[in-house]
This record gives sequence, C-alpha cells and structure tokens, in this order.
Amino acid sequence: MAYFLKPTALLLAILALAGCGKLQNDINVPLPAYSAELVVECYLEPGKVPSLAVSTTVPYLSSVLPQIPTDVTVTLTMPDGTAVPLPFQPNYQALIDTVSGVKFHSHIGRTPLVARPGDVFKIDVVDTKGRHVTGTTTMLAPIPIDSVNYKFNDKTGSERKAYFLTNFRDPISLDDCYRLQLHKGNPAKGALLKSPEVDMSVEDRLLNGQQFVLGTSYRFNAGDTVTATLYHIDRSFYRFRQSTRDARNANGNPFAQPSAIYSNVQGGVGIFAVLSSTTATKVVR
Amino acid sequence: MAFSYSARYLFLILLLSWAGPQRAWAQQETRFTLSGTVRSARGEALPGASVAVPALGTGTAADSLGHFRLSLPAGRHQLVIAFIGYLQQTRDLNLTRNQRLSFVLDESGNELGEVVVEGAATLQEKLKTTQMGVEHLSIREAKLLPALFGEVDILKTLQLKPGVQSGGEGTSGLFVRGGSSDQNLVLLDNALVYNPNHLFGLFSVFNSDAVQSVDLYKSGFPAQFGGRLSSVVDVKLREGDRQHYVATGGIGLISSRLTYEGPINKGKGSFIVSGRRTYFDIFTRALNKANEGKEDYSPIPDYYFYDMNAKANYTLGEKDHLFLTGYLGRDIFGFSSTGGFNFNFNWGNTIGTLRWNHVFSSKLFVNTSVAVSDYQYNLSNKLDTFTFGLGSNIRDYTARSDFEYAPTDRHQLKAGALLTQHRFGVGRLDANSGDGRINFGSDVNYYGLEGALYASDSYKASDKLQLEGGLRLTGFRSGADQYGGVEPRAAARYALNERTSFKVNYALMYQYVHLVTNSGATLPTDIWYPSRLSVMPQKSQQVSTGASFLLGNGKYLLTDEVYYKWGRNQVDFRDGAQLFVNPELDAEFIFGKSWSYGNEIYLEKKTGKTTGWIGYTLAWSWRNFQPQRGTTGVNNGEDFHPNYDRRHNLTVVVLHQLNPRINLTASFVYTSGNLTTLPLGRFGLQDIPGSSVGLDPRPVPIYPNRNSYQLIPYHRLDLGVVYKIGSRLNQDLTLSIYNAYNRRNAYFVFFDTVKDKGTGRTTGFQARQVSLFPVIPSLTYNFRF
Repeated sequence: MAYFLKPTALLLAILALAGCGKLQNDINVPLPAYSAELVVECYLEPGKVPSLAVSTTVPYLSSVLPQIPTDVTVTLTMPDGTAVPLPFQPNYQALIDTVSGVKFHSHIGRTPLVARPGDVFKIDVVDTKGRHVTGTTTMLAPIPIDSVNYKFNDKTGSERKAYFLTNFRDPISLDDCYRLQLHKGNPAKGALLKSPEVDMSVEDRLLNGQQFVLGTSYRFNAGDTVTATLYHIDRSFYRFRQSTRDARNANGNPFAQPSAIYSNVQGGVGIFAVLSSTTATKVVR
Repeated sequence: MAFSYSARYLFLILLLSWAGPQRAWAQQETRFTLSGTVRSARGEALPGASVAVPALGTGTAADSLGHFRLSLPAGRHQLVIAFIGYLQQTRDLNLTRNQRLSFVLDESGNELGEVVVEGAATLQEKLKTTQMGVEHLSIREAKLLPALFGEVDILKTLQLKPGVQSGGEGTSGLFVRGGSSDQNLVLLDNALVYNPNHLFGLFSVFNSDAVQSVDLYKSGFPAQFGGRLSSVVDVKLREGDRQHYVATGGIGLISSRLTYEGPINKGKGSFIVSGRRTYFDIFTRALNKANEGKEDYSPIPDYYFYDMNAKANYTLGEKDHLFLTGYLGRDIFGFSSTGGFNFNFNWGNTIGTLRWNHVFSSKLFVNTSVAVSDYQYNLSNKLDTFTFGLGSNIRDYTARSDFEYAPTDRHQLKAGALLTQHRFGVGRLDANSGDGRINFGSDVNYYGLEGALYASDSYKASDKLQLEGGLRLTGFRSGADQYGGVEPRAAARYALNERTSFKVNYALMYQYVHLVTNSGATLPTDIWYPSRLSVMPQKSQQVSTGASFLLGNGKYLLTDEVYYKWGRNQVDFRDGAQLFVNPELDAEFIFGKSWSYGNEIYLEKKTGKTTGWIGYTLAWSWRNFQPQRGTTGVNNGEDFHPNYDRRHNLTVVVLHQLNPRINLTASFVYTSGNLTTLPLGRFGLQDIPGSSVGLDPRPVPIYPNRNSYQLIPYHRLDLGVVYKIGSRLNQDLTLSIYNAYNRRNAYFVFFDTVKDKGTGRTTGFQARQVSLFPVIPSLTYNFRF
C-alpha cells in the first residue's frame, strides 16, 4: 500500500545514513525454464474500431523486446452472435513511439464498434501451437460525473497550486468499480492519449449507493485545463489491475507478498473489457 | 468440542499419580521443608534463582516471586544459591525442623575484586528439570552482548538460541521451530503484548533496563500457558530497588534511556519507572533544514519511538503482596508533502496489570491478576479541509488466578483459570470534508470471549524419574460461533546419573486469534481477527525428546533435542485480499497445514571468566495450502517452505571477563539463506488509452512458485567491549561493532530494469541484491547513580 512506502523510504534513508559502502550489488540469478503463455489485452470502446494486442509472457531476464506471435487468429463475437474476425495487422511503430500515445495492436477490425450498456461480447484467440484464450465481457452503464471543481492553496508564485475534485454518485447495485484519470492539456490536441496526472481505481465496497468525491493533492497550476475521465469497470477488471499492481510492487519490496495475476480471460493471461466512460473538463483559473 | 476419552484418562492418571505414593515416601526418612525467598541486594525477587544441595544432587528454582521450597532430610547440608549475573552464595545449614530462610545475592561485576561468575548450580538445575525447550535469558548477558546501533534487544538475543530464527536482517521477530511470528505468546508481567516491535521489527518494545528476566518456551509448554501455537516469551519486569533511590540510564547512538527506582514506605514496597526515546527525528529535521529549497531533495519524514515502563509493588502483610505494572509505547511517523498533504501514522501498545499475591502457607499460594492490553494503529491524512483516517486496534481485558500447591516434596501442583474479553477493532475508516460534502465512517468490530482452565502436576517418582502432566481446557466464543479445545501437556525426565538426563514431552495448543497480514514481515498495520464463521482455530501439536549431559566437571551443559511439530488450520490470505475495513474478512482467509522437524544442539558454559554458548540447528519447515475458495491455494497446492525456513543455523556466543573493568564479547551467526519468491516470467501491459505511453516500462512479474529461490547464506560477527569506569564501577562505555567484517548479507533480491542513459529506454533486466547493514560501530554510555 502506498502509505507503507514513505515509512519504508524513511527506514532506508536512516539505514543509508548509518551505513557505508555499496549496499546494492548486481548478481546472477539462474532461473528455471519457463513456458510462455499468450497475453491478451483488449479494451473495446463504443464508436472505435475494435483492436487488441496479443503477445506472450517471456522469461524475466530475457530480451526486452516484446514477443509478438504472428500465428494468432482472433475472433470477436458481437452481442447478436455475429463472429467478427480481427485480422493480424500490427502497428509495430507504436512500440517505439513514446510521444503520440497511440497503443500497439496486433489485430484490428474494420468497422467501429456499436456497444450499449448490457451488451455481451466474447473473444476467441488461438495460435498454431494450440494455445487458446477465451473471454467474455459486458458493457457497463457509464456513470455521469456530477461536477468537477478545484481550490487553490493560500501560497503565492510558483507554489500556488490547486487541488481538483471529481464528484459522482455510485448506483445502488453492488460491486461497482471505477477508474478515474485526470489529464492536463487540450483534449482536442490529443491530451487524453498522454500519460495522466492522476490515475486511481476505487470500488464501492464501503460507499455503495453514496456520493463519491475523489480528490488530488495541490498539484494544478492556474491555466491548466483538466479533464476527468471516469471509467465504470467491473470487478474482474478492477481485480486484474490490482493484481498486476501487487505483483509489480512485490518486485523490490521486501515487505510485500507476491500476487498471482487474476486475468478475466481463460487459457492465458490478460484482460478483455468494454470501456464505459464519461468525461468532464475544467480550466483551473 | 467434547472431552475425548483419552483426555479424561490422562486427567485420571494425573490425579492418581498425585494421590498415590506420597505416604510411602513420608515413611522413608525424616525430612523437613526449607522455604524462603531469593532476592537481590536491592530487594528485588530473583525468579529462576537456583537453591541447591550439590551433595544430594537436589535443588529447586525460585518462582516468579523469588519463592523457593525444598524438601531435605534432617541434618547438616551445604546450600548453594546462584543466579546468573550474581555472586554465588554458599551456606551451611543444620536442618532440624521446617525452616524459612531468605537469601540475598549481590550482583556480580560491581566489585573490583570479583572476577568469576558462577553458574554451575544453574546448569545442574537445568539438567534436572523436566522442562525442555526453554531458554532463560540473563539480562546481564543481553546487556553485555554487542547490539545493532548499541540498542540492547532481548528478542534479538533470543534469536541467538537454537531453534529460533529471525525474520530477516536486524529484525526482532521470532520464528520458533517453524512457527510464524504471530504464533508466539509474548507476555509482559502476564499481560499479552500484541506487537512486540518498534520500527518494522528493527527494535523490540522491551527496554532492557526495566526487564528482570525472560523465558522462552519452545516446547513442553507448561499448562498455564496457551493461546498461541509456537512459543511463549515470558518477560518479567524488575520490581525496583527496595533499599535506595537509584537512577540508571544510557546515552546511545539513536536513543537514550533513563530509569529511576526506589523504596516505597521504608522498604515495604518499591517502584521503578523507565523511559526510552529515539532521536532519529532530530537528525532528519536538521538534514531537511540543511537541504531546504533544493529541487532534487525529498525531505525525510519525521520518525521516532518511545516507550515507558513502570512497576510498583507493595507488601500488604506477611502473606499479601501487590504488584502494579504499566507499559506505554508509541511509534510516531509524520510527513508533510510539498503537495500540501499531511500524513500522520502512529502505533503502539498500552498495557496494565494489577496482581495480588497471597500466600496461604508455605505450601500454597495464589496469584490473581487483572490485565488490560491494547494495541492500535492510527493513520490520518489531511489536505485542506479534507481528512481521512484509518485505524485498527485490539483490546483485551483479562482476569486470571493461578494457584501453586506443593502438598509433599514430590508433587508440585498448579491450577488456574483465566478469562479474556477481546475487542477486535478490525477496521475503522473515516473521511470528512469541512463543507460537509464528505462525511463517511465505517467500523468493523467483533468481540470474543476466551477462557481456560488448567491443572498440572510435577511429580518426582524417584530420584531418577520425574513426570509432569497437565491439561488445559480452552474455549472461545465470538458472536454465535463457539469453539473448544482439550490441550494435554506431558513431560518426563529420566536422570541416568548425576550428569546425564533424558527428556521427552508433548504439547497440544490452540490459537483462537489470527494475525491478518499479507506481508512476509510484521507491519504495524497488521490486524488481529477472531475465530468466527469459516475461520477455525489454529491447532498445533509438538513432540520433542532430548538428552542433556553435564561435562567438564559441571562447567558445560550439552543438550541435544529433536522435535516434530504439525499444525492444522494454518492461515494465509488470498492474493489481493481486502484486509482493511472488510466486513466479510473471513472470506479472504485460506487454510492449510504445516509441519516442521529438526535437531537442536546446544553447548553452554556459565562458569569462569569465559562464558557463552554454541548452538546448532538442523531444521525443516513445510506448509501446504490446497486450492480453495476460488484460488489456486498457495504454490498451486504443492508443498512449500515458508521464507524463514533455514536448514542450518549456527550461533557462537562468547563473553570474556578480562578484568573487573573490561568485558569482551563476540557473537557469530551462520544460517542458510532466506527463501524468497522471485518472478520467473513477465509480460508487458499497455493499459487503456490515455494511460502510460508506449509499452509500460515496468513489466508485470509472474510468480509461479512460492519461496523457490534461496538467498546467499547469512553470516555475521558482532564484537563488543564493555569498559566500566568510576571508582564504584557504576558507569560504563559499551562499544558494539555490528557486522564486524562488513559482510554484505542479502536482505532481498529484485529484478531491476536497465535503462539507456541517453534515451531512457529500457534495454534489459538485472538481478540486484540489496543488503541492509554494513559494519556499524556504536558507542553507548551507561550509568547508575
């Protein structure tokens, strides 16, 4: 958890003060053989052409280049039962593009997706080695953002900053989860494709049916255009994201227990979801 | 749970063994009872002090009040009264009637002429007792031994004993014979200590200036102890000087201590008050101030801890004594970010005990106590008018009575009862805003009632054979859920001769409260949870056997013990479990079994200028958690070792009194490396549009197997010098050198990304090993006025 990090940082700082010499060394770790699995990452969006990235898991200490299998067949099944093949058309440029924010896909459809809340989609991914991944997902209803607002601190000059609040109401149903991103910049100029200022996930376990107010620290300057994007996600997506976060945090944190990855696809690793979002933009003045 | 037939049978045997042979014994010869107390020159009781008659090969140890009782044939005897850290005393006695005597022992090391610390009688007593798997820690030894940052730590000293593992470099967590750290019953003057650590386990909560004695039971648990599976750490505080007002203390590298003690009402009682505080925060504040305004400098958060111990005792009359104990300790952590975020985090224990000791006769006395024990953590964030708080606590109220009765010199009966009300504040969360838009609070609380009845008898069947049997009946109730357990305890000692004895014992334990943690370490945010709903009590059984040999004319005691321990309903947690403020927390548990076995060899020397011990443990610990509750279990249901499983563990401790002013000490530890879980595979995650740009540079690790990688072996040498100064040797300078040859022991290993310095792009991955402590010298000034 985040609040352990600061005490841990303190501890390490104290120890660094007390110590002398190099306390971190490179070592050779012989890892046993590891068999690769297919990794599927697919986020459908209404109005956008469906695409997904299929890669494979690799031994941890192997080459940094992603392994993109070329022998994979992907079929997306629409809510009405229509099977739509997504051909292998990778945009390899995205793998080295660190500016535009365009995501890599290995497979992409031809027509924009039509999706409504409650629609059920299925994915089928198979390669010539017999690896077979399947998944099912349902589009959730978007949750309206009631309001966004901000407040400046009482400092001046470059230290004058504002926090930002996003308000929305959770529906009565249980197990709703949310992901909120705050981007700075003009949405019309692709700001929403860039790395967000804030990216947080919450669930309604303790606040079911109540008002949510998600805030930030004092971090926005006068003149910033801030866009809040609120994704309504299901529990399996929330759990996948949580498990990947826990697994990452365990690497390098001696206090953490490693987590298994909880995918919502079967036969491999990954996530299959329909993004259901609402946005609100405000200029901080 | 109903009483089993075997349990009733055992209880019957106990009763018969008590009722049987006493008359026959009484007819053999004229015997009288010698009883009394053993106290220090300051008037403090000396629990564990030995009163022996070497010529008869008999003796006894003083109880927690310093009382002893010994049956001897009429006639002349030479008594030897001894206690580690005190000058041995020899007294001639002509016993013609039942007699009471009080012995006063002087502390060793306070006189220029004194050079030898005697402890042969203690070893003799250890040989003769039926109790196995127990380590009595001398505070004098603990104070002499070199310590990390010069902070004397009794729990870390216990880690130097065989069968006890630490959780990791520098930490004071105890892992006893394959058990986890939450399976230790840690008692401070009979009150339970839920979190015995400061600063993530780097320091224990016990201030050595205030501690009288520490006993660690690893097996053969006496029937008066229960509620945890693996060990009992029984810490007794000092009572204070009954003769004089005395101030003691120390100034060290990271903390200072001050203790004040003295008599109450002309020696009718005494008190002791002891406090300790660290001063990390003073250094870090100065460092922050010096670097204020630097762009690339991140201020170090404030951190300090303090603890205070107090104890008072008063003699109401010849037969009644009152004892009052208090403890308060807190770790305080604070942080203010440049983003306007204020973060405060504090945690600690609060403990109080009132004990009444009543002596009915020289054969019967009772201790009745009430205790409160509270552990809590509180975490709060504040930004402008928004506040967010998170916390948890556990609070126990305990009442207990413990009777000890010695009807004849062959029987030592103990019986008692205890009742504890637990309040588990499993999670408290509140969020508020000044404008009222946010006003949310959530509390998850449970109550539990835990009770126990016990009886035991230590029966001396002959000079060679001693038997001990006990039965503990336990019960626990939380809401509508009720559990019960029958816990038989049995031990036997056969003395082949004056220098060799064989021992065997068995114990069954239940644990009704469980630590909720998904971390391999003890964290202050770990919470306790009662047995309720699907969370059944943990259960453990242990059988151990061993032999003890007195060697070298009684100067050395060699002990070899083997044990096998097996447990059921051991707890772990689902990956990604919601452990905070979860009203359905029981659904996050998963359950498995454990088993461990090993051999502990221990050679100790307590006489002469050079004392110390060598301990070696060969041990295995296992766990198995089958797939359950929608999970794949742990390690896909296959057997695995917990991370504290260590095949080999060698400790060598040497204390040498060079002269009355100088003590030299050294301790060496070698253990197999810790086990850890490393990822075997990884995959890249792009995430949704508008998240990170490009393939996320932080790959997602995949951990197929638990604890499958072993770190390099751990070894460390610590050296110490205690130099006494002043004409009365009442001050000293203690130099400790931790990790004297600067060994880079592995604290953990992780896989780091290697980046191109020009482009910042990831070019590969590299395993890196992190060490925690290099060589750390420290100097402490201690005084006593």
